[in-house]
Amino acid sequence: MDASVRSSFIGKEEKHAVEKRPWILTRPTAKSGLVSWLTTVDHKRIGLLYACSALFFFLVGGLEALMIRIQLIVPNNTFITHETYNELFTMHATTMIFLAIMPLSAAFFNYIMPLQIGARDVAFPRLNGFAFWVFFAGAIILNVGWFMKSGAPDIGWFGYAPLTSRAYSNQFASDVSTDMWIMGLQILGVSSVIGSLNFIVTIINLRAPGLTMMRVPVFTWMTLVTAFLIILSFPAITIALVELMMDRSFGTNFFEVSNGGLPILWQHLFWVFGHPEVYILILPAMGIVSEILPTFSRKPLFGYPIVVFSGACIGFLGFGVWSHHMFTTGMGTVATAAFALATMAIAVPTGVKIFNWIGTIWGGHLMMRTPMMFALGFVWMFMIGGFSGVMHAAAPADAQQQDSYFVVAHFHYVLIGGSLFALLAGIHYWFPLVFGRKVSEFWGKLSFWVIFIGFNTTFFPMHFLGLNGMPRRTAVYDGNMGWNQANFIATIGAIILGIGIAIYFAVMIYTYFKGEKAGRDPWDGRTLEWSIPNPPPEYNFAVTPTVHARDAFWYEKHHRTEIEQEKAEHAKDEAGHGGIHMPSQSWFPIITATGMLLGGLAFGAKDAINVTLERSFHLSADHNWGILLAMGGGVITFLGAYFWSLEGPGGYHVEPESDDANAKSAGYGSHH
Amino acid sequence: MTAGAVAVMPIFFGGWSWLEGHQSTLQTKGPVAAEQAKVFYVTVWVTTIIFIIVASVLAYATLKFKARSSDEENAPPPEQSHGNPLIELSLIGASVLALVIIAVPTLKTIWYDYDVPAAEAKNAYEITATGYQWWFRFEYPKEQIDGSGKLVTANELVIPAHRPVHINLRTVDVIHSFWVPKLAGKVDMIPNRGNRLWLQADEAGYYWGQCAEYCGESHAVMRFRVIALEEKEFDQWLENQKKGARDLKNAAPANATETPKAQFASYTFTPKVRNSPGWSEEFDSDPFGHWRKDQQIDAGENMALIAKGRQLFTQKTCAGCHTVRGHEGAGIVGPDLTHVGARSTIAGGLLENNVQNLHRWITDPNNVKPGNKMYYGSGAMPGYMRRDQNSDAWVQNFTVNDEEAHALVAYLRSLK
Repeated sequence: MDASVRSSFIGKEEKHAVEKRPWILTRPTAKSGLVSWLTTVDHKRIGLLYACSALFFFLVGGLEALMIRIQLIVPNNTFITHETYNELFTMHATTMIFLAIMPLSAAFFNYIMPLQIGARDVAFPRLNGFAFWVFFAGAIILNVGWFMKSGAPDIGWFGYAPLTSRAYSNQFASDVSTDMWIMGLQILGVSSVIGSLNFIVTIINLRAPGLTMMRVPVFTWMTLVTAFLIILSFPAITIALVELMMDRSFGTNFFEVSNGGLPILWQHLFWVFGHPEVYILILPAMGIVSEILPTFSRKPLFGYPIVVFSGACIGFLGFGVWSHHMFTTGMGTVATAAFALATMAIAVPTGVKIFNWIGTIWGGHLMMRTPMMFALGFVWMFMIGGFSGVMHAAAPADAQQQDSYFVVAHFHYVLIGGSLFALLAGIHYWFPLVFGRKVSEFWGKLSFWVIFIGFNTTFFPMHFLGLNGMPRRTAVYDGNMGWNQANFIATIGAIILGIGIAIYFAVMIYTYFKGEKAGRDPWDGRTLEWSIPNPPPEYNFAVTPTVHARDAFWYEKHHRTEIEQEKAEHAKDEAGHGGIHMPSQSWFPIITATGMLLGGLAFGAKDAINVTLERSFHLSADHNWGILLAMGGGVITFLGAYFWSLEGPGGYHVEPESDDANAKSAGYGSHH
Repeated sequence: MTAGAVAVMPIFFGGWSWLEGHQSTLQTKGPVAAEQAKVFYVTVWVTTIIFIIVASVLAYATLKFKARSSDEENAPPPEQSHGNPLIELSLIGASVLALVIIAVPTLKTIWYDYDVPAAEAKNAYEITATGYQWWFRFEYPKEQIDGSGKLVTANELVIPAHRPVHINLRTVDVIHSFWVPKLAGKVDMIPNRGNRLWLQADEAGYYWGQCAEYCGESHAVMRFRVIALEEKEFDQWLENQKKGARDLKNAAPANATETPKAQFASYTFTPKVRNSPGWSEEFDSDPFGHWRKDQQIDAGENMALIAKGRQLFTQKTCAGCHTVRGHEGAGIVGPDLTHVGARSTIAGGLLENNVQNLHRWITDPNNVKPGNKMYYGSGAMPGYMRRDQNSDAWVQNFTVNDEEAHALVAYLRSLK
């Protein structure tokens, strides 16, 4: 609360409201409508923006996957061309990783993490809005190719040099699909790093009094570890992307073979990012499951310190195993052996988590609600994905499995059966908190079983396809290879999985509008986010909570008198400060991000822009119009950031509504 | 442990046709693939045993502690226990032990796979395989041909059986990966990097292979074969390969108007459909036999038609990219076609080598292998299409009509 104490606006609310400011620094104050969303700095609204965009792109990526599976339902199918197929598998992976799973995790980081640590917002609210709008800009740039002559990127999500060089990836002079991919990923990287720094500062600085690091909920711990993984791994891919951009745009030779460039360098840089990225996708999921299992088992997480340390340990080891993606690149015996052993070692902390989740439900009173079903489904599927992971760690076995459908099976068990199941569990789990309504158990469980069956029908046969020698990323296969049945079954499974996902989201949309109203703390929760009314008020906590134990809210519910006294005292203190200090909304995050969007689009599409201007409008080919336009975008970004800093931190005060009426209905036993 | 695992797993999977394809990684035919499969079986056994134990405990816990009524759910919460360090530590220890069981054979096989065992190194036969978008070139460094360097062939790698083969892996363009699952796991062909692998075929036979690294538009159809021959047959094959193309000088080219179609009258040609399969069950029933038959000269050859085809081979600029040693062809951008008639497949191992498929490949290359250089050209050399510099659009450079195709097919089939 130090920040609000030092604020010059304390006790001068009226004067602040009439203060004269230049029009450009006028702060938006809309609390509803479009402007309120475009200018929001509320971590909960930003979380919802992340969630909605992530779910939209999740559906896009899902449709891409379905088209891939339809192409493969029979041998030598002609449903789509090779070119389209290559675009689809490139964009399916890029979309699911960068535009669906990561932002969905970011949605939970944004919405839930501050509530779990008893904070009223993240450390840098405007920067948080900026991270989202930059993410959105990157998402647009990645996908705009679908509507251009160039088509979508078709170089694979891993973009191995030299297939990404102009010589091999440009089907015509103004083919910009690869440039758009490079720009889109760089801009997404900016968003991820900014968001992560914000989360790290928030977790380290804004924890409620008494919330020591070893009392922090596991989901928040995993947010912290993931954020560190992001800020340490994204520089590697950013360097690689900048080098590639320089090669393609300005004739440098980092990866240009004919001038001594080294394609293998790209692979090392890419996987130094790419392997931690795997943990960026799975650690938040492990955090969610570590919240859900204790809640629905009605006992604390088994071995909390070990779960936390194994998460951090996975994060560390995750930086030392990247070359297991490169076992077939001829690294030599010692390097191969070292990476094989390091990869096996990472199975230990991963296994530890599974033991602890089983320990958590052991002896509990398991409430088999939909979030619990998805969480248990996660444990089963992640276990299978983990075991096939150990099989790849054995490098000689991987020589056969690498780039085969066995690998496709493995990582979908980890990413769908793992990450996605946990995220779907999380949506169900926190839905009542966010929207104040509860999803129907019948429809929730139905969607779980359809998704579970569809998922296994799709991906289990792929283990056999891989062992039977079917390579990945192949648009067609011959009918004499023994792959027909498994492919047919996999496609049927994919359709079932699609139906399951459709049911899941139809139920969510229905519940949002017409679902049963949920009481406060519907699951008998253990962590602080359940201590507040649903949907949460803008300021989150009427009184900043004081934490006395690991499962803070559980402790509160079992020490009510003590806690009520303490809260009353703190409420008095806070009222003395002039109410709750809230951050002001701002236009500049979205303006600054818009500059990046325009600049990124213009730079990515510069070849197409130049060719079009030259041919259709007969503008001189002496100028690089695309780069001039991109500089225009850069100017907008610069001005946006400049006025952002002139605007000042702002802020205003609100008086919390009385929380007593709500509080009475809260507490232990209210979940039924 | 290892031996037992290896003995039992094939019985478990053996009857299952899902693992018996041409590219099965478990029905191995050589020591390298066999050692890799052994390591795989070890991982399968270890993880299966752990899975059974962990899954049983998880299933038991779920069923035993599940609340079956709302009374049970609302009963006072269970003891709020926080864990048990002794259990944790012993489970960590057990995990490490299990991984050691996998690590030992893993390390042994990493060294075994890497190069031909020292004892047999002298006996190893050497090949250089080079990846192109989208076909493989095979060079035999030891087989010198007077006046024209080393023996070169494409898409069908013929090797001696029962003998280690050391293969240097190179690429001229993007990254490819050399994979013959029954003989050995894959190793990538990477620009500016001298990779290699070794393999050995335990029996003479016909093996399927495929590029395993995404390498552009037609990656899916970049395939090849390995044919392993007994020593004597291999020597015969080498002797024939070292000869130039068949001498057919005596025949006079036929006129287009009087092109004798009789040779092709009985065939029906595939319509121009994308991705139509290039294999047949008849061929699949005895691929090795078919390969042997392809070494023989076709019955009913029409010398005039063949001569016409040879003429067209130059007229249509085929000779600019393809070598036909002893004839006009001298290009090195495309596959060497000196003995193309003696290969069992064409178009990069994609289509069985017969009259219909050759005809289809020549008249409709882009529907067989989209984006290929024969159709779109390579560098400054145009193909069937060329790039119009002003409009940045593809325009037709030349076409091959039915009759021309017949002549070219007759010529290519004659190159035994």
